[in-house]
Amino acid sequence: MKRLARHRRTLISAASLVGLVALWELALRLGWLPGNLVPLPSSIPAVLWAEIHDGIWLEVVLASLSHYSVGLAIGSVLGIAVGVAAALVPTFDAAQSWLARLLRPIPPLAWIPFAIIWFGVTETAAAFIISIGVFWINYFTSYSAVRAVDDGYYEVAQAFGQGRFTARLAKISLPAAAPGILGGLRAGLGQGWMTVVAAELFGIPGIGQRMMEASGLLATDVVVVYMLTIAALYALFDFLFMSIQRRALRWQN
Amino acid sequence: MAELTSPSPAADAVLSARGVRLGFAGDVVLDGVDLDVAPREFVAVVGASGVGKSTLLRALAGLLTPQHGEVHLSAAGEPASRAWSMVFQAPRLFPWRRVRANVELGLEGLGLSRAERRARAMAPLELVGLAPLAERWPRTLSGGQQQRVGIARALAVKPRVLFMDEPFSALDALTRQRLQGELAELRRRSDAAIVFVTHDIEEAVLLADRVVVLARPDEHTPAGVRDIVTIDLPLDQRRAQAGFRDHVQRLERHIGVAVTHEETPS
Repeated sequence: MKRLARHRRTLISAASLVGLVALWELALRLGWLPGNLVPLPSSIPAVLWAEIHDGIWLEVVLASLSHYSVGLAIGSVLGIAVGVAAALVPTFDAAQSWLARLLRPIPPLAWIPFAIIWFGVTETAAAFIISIGVFWINYFTSYSAVRAVDDGYYEVAQAFGQGRFTARLAKISLPAAAPGILGGLRAGLGQGWMTVVAAELFGIPGIGQRMMEASGLLATDVVVVYMLTIAALYALFDFLFMSIQRRALRWQN
Repeated sequence: MAELTSPSPAADAVLSARGVRLGFAGDVVLDGVDLDVAPREFVAVVGASGVGKSTLLRALAGLLTPQHGEVHLSAAGEPASRAWSMVFQAPRLFPWRRVRANVELGLEGLGLSRAERRARAMAPLELVGLAPLAERWPRTLSGGQQQRVGIARALAVKPRVLFMDEPFSALDALTRQRLQGELAELRRRSDAAIVFVTHDIEEAVLLADRVVVLARPDEHTPAGVRDIVTIDLPLDQRRAQAGFRDHVQRLERHIGVAVTHEETPS
């Protein structure tokens, strides 16, 4: 396939997006789409402004961010710790192997009943659910990344007096596996954010709950405002993380 | 210089091996290896591929435990140094560390301050001519430069014994020749004894004081020391000297490689 020049590619992508929104607007105005089921794109900025002006937008975004960040932190730290430990300690690897195989396929949302039984409809419950998905992604990528580290590096460590477990961990396993571990953290960042909204649909305060309220009133424009908010916040996190990642891995290229 | 087959370790040897047997599982690869290395001596170990040269080197360094026999290595000579270090076939630099930090690896945990480590790392980097590249990432270096960093990393710990495992075999011919010359020069400036594994007989004769030949008597017998040749040529311009080819030919015969100029009927 022939590659497009970069500016041409950007132009086509932008035109396609703008064109689709225009078509959507046109379809509603001409009555091809029912106005009570889909909002007018041109109405969105005003609705967003109203949500911001009333303080609702900031309140729900902060609520979501708070259990997102707690769940993300817990899931990432535990996932990396367990993944790295399993990759380095054969006995621990064997001990956790079947348990991991059993629990890993269970989607985070399947834990909602227990989250509610254990923590009630609280932020803790949401953080718990978010942390589960994030945990597995980080667990798996860290485990694979550390397992894939070239044995030759460990021999170098041994030859230069760095053969102790802690020295090998800090000087080889973690830096050598860093590209994989950071890749897992980034994937977890996305996975966690997807889980936030789902976890909140059950009444835990945040973006998801606000969306459910709005849909109950057929306020489709409000729903779209928060869908766009979710997308924009994710793009922001991903961008920030990528710049950190590029800096941390500048030895690569 | 210590006699190679002496039954007890030579008093002044920095490295002594007695009756070393090596193998994998039930399979014995090398057996009955005795070796003494004197301070500052350069011993090359040659042999056909698969004869167990690299395995022997690792056993001498203590990275492997022999199935039988003993290896004795002198303790570190001075404070903040190590008994031995190694240059590997592939440079095996840590790509996530800058050049200088790679050279500092062996100096970590020796009780040196950060500034002392830095200074200790810069000295061998200057010796191999790479001080200007100290802050570069390894991936930006050529293969020859990377191997020089590997040598600097090994010299930084001021080892009593420097093990080198076919360090130039992965380099192109020109770079290899240049590094061979540099190594001959480095010897004058380092107090380390060198045990150098190579499959290149000319390289061994070019650099070593003694060449140890490992070979199998026949297919079913483990390899052992077939011969030890003392290279009594001055280091300067060795290749051009009369005795050079004689040594090479003698060693070729003992290794069992086809020596074409003898076998071709004239």
